[in-house]
Amino acid sequence: MIQLKEVSKVYQTKTIETTALNNISIQVSSGEFLSIMGPSGCGKSTLLNIMGMIDEPSSGKVTISGQSISNYHSKALARFRNQKLGFIFQSFHLINELSVIDNVELPLIYRKTSARERRKMAAEALEQVGLKNRMKHFPGQLSGGQKQRVAIARAIVGKPGIILADEPTGNLDSVMGAEIMDILLKLNKELGTTIVMVTHDETMAQKTHRLIRLFDGSQVQ
Amino acid sequence: MIRHILQLIWNKKRSNTLLFLEIFFSFIILFAVFTIVTRYMRMYQSPLGFQTENIWIVHMNFNDLTDTSAVNEMKVRLKDELLSYPQIQAASYGGEATPMGGSVWATSHDQNGFQLKTNIIFGDHDYLETLDLELVRGRWFNESDADARYMPIVITEKFYEETFKGKNLTDSIYIITEESNIVGVVKNFKYRGDFATEDNVAFHYKNENHIDLSRLILRIAPGTKSGFEEEVNQVVASITKKNDFTIEHIEATRSRLAKMIWIPIIAFLSICGFLVINVSMGLFGVLWHSISKRRNEIGLRRTLGASQGEITSQFVSEVTFVSLAGITLGFVFALQFPLLKVFPIEAINYYLAMALSAGIILLLVLLCSFYPSWQASKIHPATALHEE
Ligand SMILES: Nc1ncnc2c1ncn2[C@@H]1O[C@H](COP(=O)(O)OP(=O)(O)OP(=O)(O)O)[C@@H](O)[C@H]1O
Ligand SMILES: [Mg+2]
Repeated sequence: MIQLKEVSKVYQTKTIETTALNNISIQVSSGEFLSIMGPSGCGKSTLLNIMGMIDEPSSGKVTISGQSISNYHSKALARFRNQKLGFIFQSFHLINELSVIDNVELPLIYRKTSARERRKMAAEALEQVGLKNRMKHFPGQLSGGQKQRVAIARAIVGKPGIILADEPTGNLDSVMGAEIMDILLKLNKELGTTIVMVTHDETMAQKTHRLIRLFDGSQVQ
Repeated sequence: MIRHILQLIWNKKRSNTLLFLEIFFSFIILFAVFTIVTRYMRMYQSPLGFQTENIWIVHMNFNDLTDTSAVNEMKVRLKDELLSYPQIQAASYGGEATPMGGSVWATSHDQNGFQLKTNIIFGDHDYLETLDLELVRGRWFNESDADARYMPIVITEKFYEETFKGKNLTDSIYIITEESNIVGVVKNFKYRGDFATEDNVAFHYKNENHIDLSRLILRIAPGTKSGFEEEVNQVVASITKKNDFTIEHIEATRSRLAKMIWIPIIAFLSICGFLVINVSMGLFGVLWHSISKRRNEIGLRRTLGASQGEITSQFVSEVTFVSLAGITLGFVFALQFPLLKVFPIEAINYYLAMALSAGIILLLVLLCSFYPSWQASKIHPATALHEE
């Protein structure tokens, strides 16, 4: 489903050159739940961004569903992300000026979905994460765990085939974290959603199908 | 998408209020200036209705002369003498209210108590030809009008259209200061200058030798040397045996009068220009700032599937909607002027000024919001999300 072939990423700043990823080749198959672990700064987020086609590798090849990507700025690629990918970020990235339900609707804004249909789908997604009674709240009125659940609702509202989660439980206590993990496991099991998750938590990683370890931009396991 | 943008604007009403007020006040100021300017420009556009180039007026004063018949005779002699010069194409006596100078207002009531307000201009039978007035109906005065039972008068076309249209002119007597018979209509006579309103004008006939007609209007042949004025001077002095007369070139008076309006107009427009520049810079700065604060949001939207075009149009639309709201409030305010007739100005001036102000502001808003928005849309999603 997602294929990375000899992918490297080098960040060039004025003074230093950082190799965030070094010759990585990974294949994620459909329906798989893959977790990525590694110390801070080893390139996990970079890897996830490249899988999510929001970042361009310095070298190597990325193929999604058999198609390789040439133009990272194209509208077609943006649409592809919109249709096929769901993103969950470590720091939630909710829009504070929008209510919970409007935040969840966001991916649907960029599709041809009627306003009523959007509402319905967003409400369903919120129900799945157990936040139906918080629809009219604003992000500032929510706890960290609730925010992350809103972010998950936003990631699943468009029913994407793939979810990319960057430390979805990183900012949460263990109880909250376990709850989020349960939601992801359920999605993977019941809907067959492919999930790639970055985590620092061994026990969570153990619950997934496969674990990849990164060290200094290279795959070590 | 539009719903989404409106929702976003509404939820951020506090920060949008500033922009809203800025647009509203800019609109009001532009509206005020443009109302004044359009009013004057529209006045300026309508033709004067008479010639000013190469027209000289000899201003004389016969008040101290008691022998009326001697004055009568002297006036005729002066006109004949001057007309014998090939440089003088036409000459006519007129009253004290002359083109570009003076005014005589009269208000009269007809039999039905209907009030008529008009300017009165006295002239002899050569007045039309000398000033090159355009006759659109009827005739100008002739010397036999001196014996007419009712005062023969000629009026301007606007006066005619507004007051006498469809009425029988030839046989009817109207009270315009006295019992009068309208014998003709001229196109226009904006005699108080380019920036004057087109007020009612009624020409009253007086014989050329009448002592009241103390202004001699001369039409000089084009290309006449400037030294000719001295010759005219000598002729007038020797025939009238007086030296308290002056010769006025009305083209010069015309531009002097116009300048008195042009200067404030240009000053107002400069203020407007300054305002427009300030508003644009402010707008540009505010947008630049707010967009830089929203890099995260932009990165997020790009990640979730927004194209560059959608990001650009979202930001441009947000600002445009807020501006439209400001302009709408401005419209509500501005509309009160024509509706309540706050000033005696034609409503069309207000409407033109409203359209012009709204147009300029919207153009500015679009120009100022497009560039920052387009720049913002080019943000790399990964980079933008990485910040924080
Ligand atoms: N935009 C950027 N410009 C320059 N260097 C960058 C940029 N983004 C990441 N890096 C560098 O690339 C390396 C990998 O970063 P990345 O964010 O992928 O690490 P990570 O494994 O996700 O770390 P963490 O667990 O702390 O989130 C780091 O050394 C980081 O400093
Ligand atoms: Mg990271």
